[in-house]
Amino acid sequence: MAGTMRAQYPASIRPIRMNCTGRVTPSLMMRALGKGADGIILAG
Amino acid sequence: MLEAARTEGLTIYTYSEVEDLDGFIGNFNVKIRKKARYTTHDCNGCGACEEICPAIGPSEFDEGMSARTAIYTVFNQAVPLVAQIDMDRCIRCGLCEEICEVDAIDFDQEDEIIDLKVGSVIVATGWDEYEPPKGYLGYNKYPNVITQLQLERILNPNGPTVSHLVRPSDGKVPKRILFIQCVGSRDLNKNTYCSSGVCCMTTIKNSKLIKQHDPNIEIEVAYMDIRAAGKDYEEYFTASRKQGIKYIRTNVSKVEEDPETHNLKVIMQDTLRDSLGLQEKEYDLIVLSCAMVPPKGIDKITNMLKLETSQDGFFKEFHSRLNPIDTKIPGMVLAGTSQGPKSISESIAQGRAAASSLARLMSKDKYQIKLIRAKVDKERCSNCGLCELNCVYNAITLHEDGAEVDEILCRGCGSCLSNCPSEAITLRYYREPQYETQIDAILEEI
Repeated sequence: MAGTMRAQYPASIRPIRMNCTGRVTPSLMMRALGKGADGIILAG
Repeated sequence: MLEAARTEGLTIYTYSEVEDLDGFIGNFNVKIRKKARYTTHDCNGCGACEEICPAIGPSEFDEGMSARTAIYTVFNQAVPLVAQIDMDRCIRCGLCEEICEVDAIDFDQEDEIIDLKVGSVIVATGWDEYEPPKGYLGYNKYPNVITQLQLERILNPNGPTVSHLVRPSDGKVPKRILFIQCVGSRDLNKNTYCSSGVCCMTTIKNSKLIKQHDPNIEIEVAYMDIRAAGKDYEEYFTASRKQGIKYIRTNVSKVEEDPETHNLKVIMQDTLRDSLGLQEKEYDLIVLSCAMVPPKGIDKITNMLKLETSQDGFFKEFHSRLNPIDTKIPGMVLAGTSQGPKSISESIAQGRAAASSLARLMSKDKYQIKLIRAKVDKERCSNCGLCELNCVYNAITLHEDGAEVDEILCRGCGSCLSNCPSEAITLRYYREPQYETQIDAILEEI
């Protein structure tokens, strides 16, 4: 969507596609933080 | 309605109620209770029984403003035009039985339960007029304060006064009439919504009708906004002002009555003409333009069909902008005011949309669903019920051995999955290991 707006965002933000934000589980978020992610954006 | 009754392949169950409905698209099981009319199919609506019946009650059709007999036809254009007996009013004198030429009276008739299997459902349960609380703006307290529907009956040639515009207290023709708009709507203390401009146009129509009866009758309309948004509506509104109908932008908060004349007094401030200040005005008749509300007893249907309702109490459509016809339940669609207040032309448009949506669905013999569906691992399931509670599509039911997901109702959103404390639910095509690998791969460099 950022592409269609011709907006830019830093390469350090890595999107993971889901079918619905309702599907995001706490364990997935903990896993990401545990493996070194600095933060999580839930966008939907 | 007559045309519908004569259409082949179309069965109409009148004086009936849906008692129970379950199942899913293509396979709904419906129980209909056909209430006993105590008259048989032989009744031809001749009306001889009505003329001789000694027992009376208030007429529902005339909004309580006239009487009807215990044995009665609902109204002159009813389909089917047959008599029915209101057993609460009937005194069992048997006079109708004696006079009926076709022997159509049957006091022993019982309700009939009909079982049907249907493939899809259109919910077209309609609306009721908002009933103001007793005393609000004089309603049900002062005789000359009536509602819009009551006015419609008075103006109707088949109505209680054979379309003579007379007021309830003394039967005289009112010389000054006030319409109060938005009663029960656009009100933080009652219903917050606007009835989509229906009452605005109804008031303009009835005002013009009254002016046709007698151009000397003074008509004033107390309004917040006049919503004349529709084809030819604005021109209709302009024409009404040319006829001398006055529109005053004001909120009427209190109506008082002169106990001798039964005339009504209102203190109002025309907010567009400040120089006039507060004015005390007197009227012979006040008409309350009430909101459209969901019909009485609709809760029974809501719970039976497991339909969602919106904030305004009407049924919730699948998407307010992109799909106001379907509901979250496949095979169940909404038509007319069941989905929200709307005008006649909009109701017809939506009704036809509902019919064509289902026709397309029912023309095939199979219903395709996507495979992205949740599945419960019954061995891990602890029967806590959180998934059932959380599912917005009512797709999960708890069984003895664990929860089960109905693949047709499920939309694959995954809310159940994220809520399950036992991690017992998987979503096809969006499984946990897929995401775990993605996260690991992205964060590998760190």
